[in-house]
Amino acid sequence: MSDTHFVVGKPIGRVDGPEKVTGKARYTADVLLPGFVWGKALRSPLPHAKIVRVETAKAKALPGVLAVLTAKDLPNVLVGRRMFDMPILARDRVRFIGEKVAAVAAENPETAEEALQLIEVEYEDLPAVFDPVEALRESAPILHEDPAAYAFAPQETRPHRNVQSIHHTLLGDVDAGFREADRIFEHTFTTQLAHQGYLEPHAGMVAIDNAGRVQIWTSNKMPFRLKELIAHATQLPQEKILVNLTPIGGDFGGKGSLMDIPLCYFLARATGRPVKMVMSYTEELMAGNPRHPSVITLRTGVGRDGRIVARTARAIFNGGAYAAFKPVPTVNLHGADQAGGVYRIPNIAIESICVYTNSIPCGHARAPGEPQMIFAVESHTDMIAHDLGLDPVEFRRRNLLTDGDRLANGRPLSHVKAKESLDAALEAIEWSLPRPRPFVGRGVAMSHRAIGIGESNAKLRLEEDGSLTLLTAAPDTGTGAYTMLQQVVAETLRVPPDKITVKVGDTDSFENDSGAGGSRVTHVAGQAAFQAATELRKRITKVAARFLELPEEELELREARVVAKGDRSASLSLAEVSRSAREAGVALDVSARYSATSFSSVTSFCTQAAEVEVDPETGQVKILRLVNSHDVGTVINPIGHQGQIEGGLIQGMGFAVMEEMRASDGRIETLNLGDYKIPNIKDIPPLTTVILEDAAGPGPYQAKSIGEGSISPVGAAIANAVFDACGVRITDLPLTAEKVFFALKRKGTPP
Amino acid sequence: MTQRVRLVVNGKKCEVAVPTTRRLIDCLRYDLGLTGTKEGCAVGVCGACTVLLDGKIVSSCLTLAVFADGREVTTVEGLADDARLHPVQQAFIDHGGFQCGICTPGQLVAAKALLDEIPHPTEDEIKDWMMGNLCRCTGYYKIIESIKQAAASPLPALSPEGRGEQ
Repeated sequence: MSDTHFVVGKPIGRVDGPEKVTGKARYTADVLLPGFVWGKALRSPLPHAKIVRVETAKAKALPGVLAVLTAKDLPNVLVGRRMFDMPILARDRVRFIGEKVAAVAAENPETAEEALQLIEVEYEDLPAVFDPVEALRESAPILHEDPAAYAFAPQETRPHRNVQSIHHTLLGDVDAGFREADRIFEHTFTTQLAHQGYLEPHAGMVAIDNAGRVQIWTSNKMPFRLKELIAHATQLPQEKILVNLTPIGGDFGGKGSLMDIPLCYFLARATGRPVKMVMSYTEELMAGNPRHPSVITLRTGVGRDGRIVARTARAIFNGGAYAAFKPVPTVNLHGADQAGGVYRIPNIAIESICVYTNSIPCGHARAPGEPQMIFAVESHTDMIAHDLGLDPVEFRRRNLLTDGDRLANGRPLSHVKAKESLDAALEAIEWSLPRPRPFVGRGVAMSHRAIGIGESNAKLRLEEDGSLTLLTAAPDTGTGAYTMLQQVVAETLRVPPDKITVKVGDTDSFENDSGAGGSRVTHVAGQAAFQAATELRKRITKVAARFLELPEEELELREARVVAKGDRSASLSLAEVSRSAREAGVALDVSARYSATSFSSVTSFCTQAAEVEVDPETGQVKILRLVNSHDVGTVINPIGHQGQIEGGLIQGMGFAVMEEMRASDGRIETLNLGDYKIPNIKDIPPLTTVILEDAAGPGPYQAKSIGEGSISPVGAAIANAVFDACGVRITDLPLTAEKVFFALKRKGTPP
Repeated sequence: MTQRVRLVVNGKKCEVAVPTTRRLIDCLRYDLGLTGTKEGCAVGVCGACTVLLDGKIVSSCLTLAVFADGREVTTVEGLADDARLHPVQQAFIDHGGFQCGICTPGQLVAAKALLDEIPHPTEDEIKDWMMGNLCRCTGYYKIIESIKQAAASPLPALSPEGRGEQ
């Protein structure tokens, strides 16, 4: 595809490269305002308790301490990304270990820490519940008296007061479908609590200027939404709040909440000084907003011909003590909607329940809910095939989605590349070749994902010297969004990319931007930039046509000049265009707003395959190689695109085989990155990626999305490979040596 | 208790009075304003805070500032000439060795030390050396590619005036 393009598809280095490799990029924690002070929070040591008394006098008396706040110093508001159910500081009651109870501002971090030790809190234990299935029992302790009464709480009827939200998706007639079934299979899968693992802990700085304007710097990927939410939390009008965009040191779904910003504000108000709060990684692991653990039960009816006729799916997600970190209107996880996988299932009913427990509140993590659900679906697929005596690939082929099929939510699909994606991955892993030795196995798994929607804006200006300035307020979580925007503008105006400066605005720059997330940035911010560039191209051509006395249709842009199509002698540089426009009083300054409110019928398919070797003595699983094939749109920047695929895949692998925030009675036991293991450079296996480019996306130059495409299937691909290697089926993530070892022991005989 | 600490940071002499409990990372970031060095895990596991102390890799989150007294510290800010990036910095840009960039200062300092020690490392040598630097964005493939590429470029001379011509 890139052959037909000028700069789209070229491996251009990141626009933010020089500042990020020299240490000049200023992340939130690097913003050092004159006179700033340090905020720290005191957290609950108990999972569920009444707060009887909080004594702060000693902390306040410590030299260097400027303010100590408890809930009674704050307005009685609840906050959240969608549903407001979480206090800024616990009021009367704590609901998880790590909940904030008091906050301190001090001249330096050491003093702030010391002050926290001097705060005395008296608690009275309450009965607690940690397991989401137990939390749904009639006798379970209740965390919130009336969840439905919280602002923006979903209004479906809750089967229990410990339900944060319940979401149903139905296609066809499931009972009728099961009546047609020849065989019915039911399996249950469980997945663990896992952190997003960004290496930049949450950070924030808040300053209140003399006019009462609240300036915020924070590692937040939805700054416009944050402005609205902070306005609510602080009871201030939105105009009083300005959110500055800083580079974000990793997001993976986790950086969209208010986190400590309300506290920074109230501490800034109490001290009259800018306040900085940076969570420690221990706080991240105790009280961030990690990926929901799940219990997923799939029940599938299959006809005599090996076709799936019906499915029910029930996902129970452990939401933790608050629903506040889930941003979508359903306050649920849309990954659960993927219970149909990549298969045509005419009758399907999905129920997804997020449950309150006295555990860390969970939030969004890259492809929220999807790695959990796809692990279940794609393991289930292989288990059914095995019981039917069918090859797992053959069983998939009989059921793969094709053009015109409907998803569980009723949306019809087009440009379906399920088969092509599967074929490419199988070829890459040499599926048809015999396994090289005993205890080596291969597994395959698939998923597909919609292209994100939302709103973004762009302003584009031709400068006097012929260079261009693009203003965006789309945050970059590290994906290379600004380089993508530069390439889109360069392509549209046929200008070398280095002539385009990408400026990042703040929340005053535009009315809105949906922010980064849901695989939307290339689509929506890219389209806003494309539309601005298209409009600017028209205006440039118009000005040049008048100057050159040629019809507009005979002109084109090329190498930063406007040239006559046939006769190259008549031409005008963009600097000359800019000057003549100024003289004529024409503005070469355009704005564009792009908003997509409904999903395209086009999705992106991904197949991942693993080859593993199991040590029958120890259960150790070695991943010998991974392959993945992606059905993608036009690739705008192959470096960034491949980077998303590789990073997502290795994150998915970490989730599958090593990462786990172990907890005991609500107390996280893996409180640092030594205990919470994420993949390091020695954990990565040889990798093959196959790109199937199909210029069919809704993004600029028919781009699709890629950010969340590669994280989901790998877990089931590995579990399926382990089964192939040694005949044991692991249905509980992470897939560790211990689980394989004991499963082998139970099984007794080698395969 | 405070103590005067004299150290050479990126070739420049510095003198600061710090509490004896102050960590080197906080001294660099908040006493000297060199915020290029990042704090991730704070327990010496993630490598984001990697700096060189007399040419050797240390985690500045586990090192006290007083321990650096009389010694030379190299941070990410000290890798480039005024005019030119170190080959490993350029390679990270050209080959996608970073995404969000938060681990990058540590990756670059560690990679520079690797190339100083082993100018042409094998892939296994790269992996062995770099396993103390976590990255959540890239999946590491492009970090390996970047370091290989930097190894293939001429290395700069160690003296500040004489960086190798490319």
